[in-house]
Amino acid sequence: MDTQRKYWENWAEMGRNATDSNEPAKSPWESALDHWWQTVSPTAPDQTKELMGRILSQGKAFLAMSDGFIKNLQQAGGGSADWTEVFERSISDLQGSFSVPVHPDGDDTLHRMMAFWEMPMDSWQRMVSSLSLVPGDLLRNLLNGDSKASMDEFLSTPGLGHTRETQAKQQEMVRLVLEYQKALQEYQQFFSNLGINSVDRMRKKLEGMNEQDPPIESARALYDLWVASCEEVYGELVTTPEYACLQGHLLNTLMAAKRQSGIMVDEFLDTMNMPTRSELQTLQDRMQESRRENKRLHSEVDAIKKQLADVSSIPPRITETKAKPKARTTSGKKAKRKVAPKKRAVVKKRAATRSQQTKSDE
Amino acid sequence: MFTNQITPDKLAEEMQEYSRKLGQGVSNLLNADKIDAGVTEKVEVYREDKLVLYRYKAPSDVVQNQTPLLIVYALVNRPYMTDIQEDRSTIRNLLAAGQDVYLIDWGYPDGADRSLTLDDYINGYIDRCVDVICQRHCMQQLNILGICQGGTFSLCYSAIHPDKVKNLVAMVTPVDFKTPGNLLSSWVQHVDIDLLVDTLGNIPGELLNWTFLSLKPFSLGGQKYVNVVDVLNDEARLKNFLRMEKWIFDSPDQAGETFRQFIIDFYQKNGLVEGNVQIGEHLVDLKQLTMPVLNVFAEQDHLVPPDASRALAKQVGTEDYTELSFPGGHIGIYVSGKAQKEVTPAIAAWLDKRS
Repeated sequence: MDTQRKYWENWAEMGRNATDSNEPAKSPWESALDHWWQTVSPTAPDQTKELMGRILSQGKAFLAMSDGFIKNLQQAGGGSADWTEVFERSISDLQGSFSVPVHPDGDDTLHRMMAFWEMPMDSWQRMVSSLSLVPGDLLRNLLNGDSKASMDEFLSTPGLGHTRETQAKQQEMVRLVLEYQKALQEYQQFFSNLGINSVDRMRKKLEGMNEQDPPIESARALYDLWVASCEEVYGELVTTPEYACLQGHLLNTLMAAKRQSGIMVDEFLDTMNMPTRSELQTLQDRMQESRRENKRLHSEVDAIKKQLADVSSIPPRITETKAKPKARTTSGKKAKRKVAPKKRAVVKKRAATRSQQTKSDE
Repeated sequence: MFTNQITPDKLAEEMQEYSRKLGQGVSNLLNADKIDAGVTEKVEVYREDKLVLYRYKAPSDVVQNQTPLLIVYALVNRPYMTDIQEDRSTIRNLLAAGQDVYLIDWGYPDGADRSLTLDDYINGYIDRCVDVICQRHCMQQLNILGICQGGTFSLCYSAIHPDKVKNLVAMVTPVDFKTPGNLLSSWVQHVDIDLLVDTLGNIPGELLNWTFLSLKPFSLGGQKYVNVVDVLNDEARLKNFLRMEKWIFDSPDQAGETFRQFIIDFYQKNGLVEGNVQIGEHLVDLKQLTMPVLNVFAEQDHLVPPDASRALAKQVGTEDYTELSFPGGHIGIYVSGKAQKEVTPAIAAWLDKRS
C-alpha cells in the first residue's frame, strides 16, 4: 500500500511541478485526480466539462474522506486496529473541520469546507449566477468589509439638489443589497450545525448497528452511510417553519435588490432613448391580449360557420363553388318558406338531394 | 457496534480502483454521442406558437383503442421523460397496449410568452389540441392522461369541459397542496410570488432546478456523481445516466403569469380543494368530473406526496373512481422496470374497459 501511495504522491508532485502550482498537497489521490483533469479537460466539450467538474469535485470529497480513514487506521495499527478508536478519531477530524465560526461580516464557513458541504449553497450560487450577467453571486461579496462603513454613512446622508431622486434610488439599492447579504448570512448560519449534527447522526447509526446488519466493507459503504446521515439531518432542518421563512426571505431580498437594479437600468436606458424592460413588457401584454382576442374571434367565426352549415345542411365547400349558386340557394329558401317548422328537416333533406342532383347535372 | 471489515490496504485499493475507473471511463464520456430526447417515432399533427402536438406511431400488429389518448405533461421539465429510453418508455408501453397516443410538447417559453395565463394554457392550447384530435378521429370525446402539473391542468380542463373527456387519468397529480410533508408547498408559502414574477418576468428553469435539488442536495448533488464511476465503462448505462442528467437540467423557463397564478392559487391558497380557482371565465368545480377517473400516484413521491393526490377521491363527481398506488418515486413511476410491468399496462386496461 505504501508503494501505491508513493506512486500517487509522485504523480501528484509531478503534476504540481508541471503546472507550477504552489497549492498545498491534499490527499495524493485528490491531487493526482486534479493533475489528470488538467491534462484531459482542454479537449473536453463545454457541456461535458461541467458534468466532469461535478463528478471530480464529489469524487475528491469521497477520496478525501477515505484518505482520512486510511491515515487513522494506519496510526491505530492497520487491520488489527480498534475500529471504535479509528472511527472516533476520524469523526473528531471531521468535526474539527466544522469548528470554524461564521464570520460576523458574512464570510461563509461552508465555502471553506469540503465540496460535499457546499452542495446546499452551491446550487444557490449557480442559480443566482444564472440570473446575473456576472458569474457567481455578485451581491454576496458586494459592500463587504471596509466599504460597509462608508456605505452606512452613504445611507444616512439625505439626497439633495437636482439629483436627489437618483441619490435616493442608489441609497435604496445599497440598502436592499445589505438586506440580501444579511438574509444570506442568516441562511448559512442556519446550516452551521448541519455538519456536526450529521457526524453525530452517523456515529449513532454505526453504534446502533448489530450483527444482523450487513457489515461495512468499503469506503463507498461508509460514504453512503455518511450521505444518508447528512440527508436525514438536513431533512429535519428544512422541514421546519423556521427554514421556510428563511428561505422565503432569502429569495424575497434577492428579488427586491434585483428589481431595484432593474428600475435603475430602465431609467438609464430611458435617458439613452432606448426601449426599457417595462415598455417591452407593456407591449408584450398588449400583444398577448390582441392574440387572445384574435383566437377568440377565430373560434367564434368557426362556430358561426358551423352553425350556418348546419342550418343550410350544405357543406361549406359546396357553398363556395361558383356554379349556379343563386339557383341552389333560391330553391332551398323557397322550399323552407313553404313548409311548417316541424317538416323543415324533411324538406332540408330534399333540398340537399336536389342540390346534389344539380351538382351531378353540372 | 458494527463489525469492522475495512483495512488500510482495502481502502487504498478501493481508492485506486475508483481513480482508475474514472480515468478510463472519461473517454467514454468525452466520446458519448448526442443524447436522444425521446426514442419512439412520432409525427407532428398540430403546431401553435411554441406548442407542438405529436402523435406516436403505433405498432402495426396491435389492435388500437378507438378513443385516442392525449398526454398532458407538466410545464416544468420536458415530456421526453415519458419516452426516455427504449426499454423504459411509458409511451411505448401504452402504444404496445393498444392506446392511440398523442402528446403535447409545450416547448420553451421565452420573454414573448411571459403574459400567457392558465386560461391560455387550459382553455386555449389544451382545448384546441383536444379539438384537433377529435376532428381527426371524427369523435366528440377523447381520453386524457395528465402528468404532475399537467395532471392538475387536466383536472381543471376536464371539470370545465366534461363533455369532451371520456376518461381521465391523473398521474402523480397534486390536488390538495397543503397536506403534511409537502416540502415544496411549505417552502413556497413565504415567497413573495408577485415580487418574483414582476422582477424576473418568466421564471428561469435554474430557479426550479435549485428548488428541486434542495430537496435532497447530498444525494442529488453529491452521491449521484460519486456513484457514476460504476457506469462510466458501460456505454449503454452511461447513456442512460446522461439521458437522465440531461432531463433533470433541461428545465424550460415558466411563463411568468401562469407561474404566478399556479403558485398563488394552487400552492398558497390551495384553491383546487377550496373550490376557488378561476380559469378565465370558469370557476373550477371538481364535482364536474363526472367521467371515469383513474388516479395514479407514487408512494415514495417526494415532490407530490401521495396524500396530495389521494385528496382527489373526495372531490370528484364521478361514481367510477379508481386509485392505483405504485411503490416508487415521482420519476420511478415512469422509468423503473417495475413501472413498465405494472403501471402502464394497468392504465391501458382501465382505459380499454371504458372506451
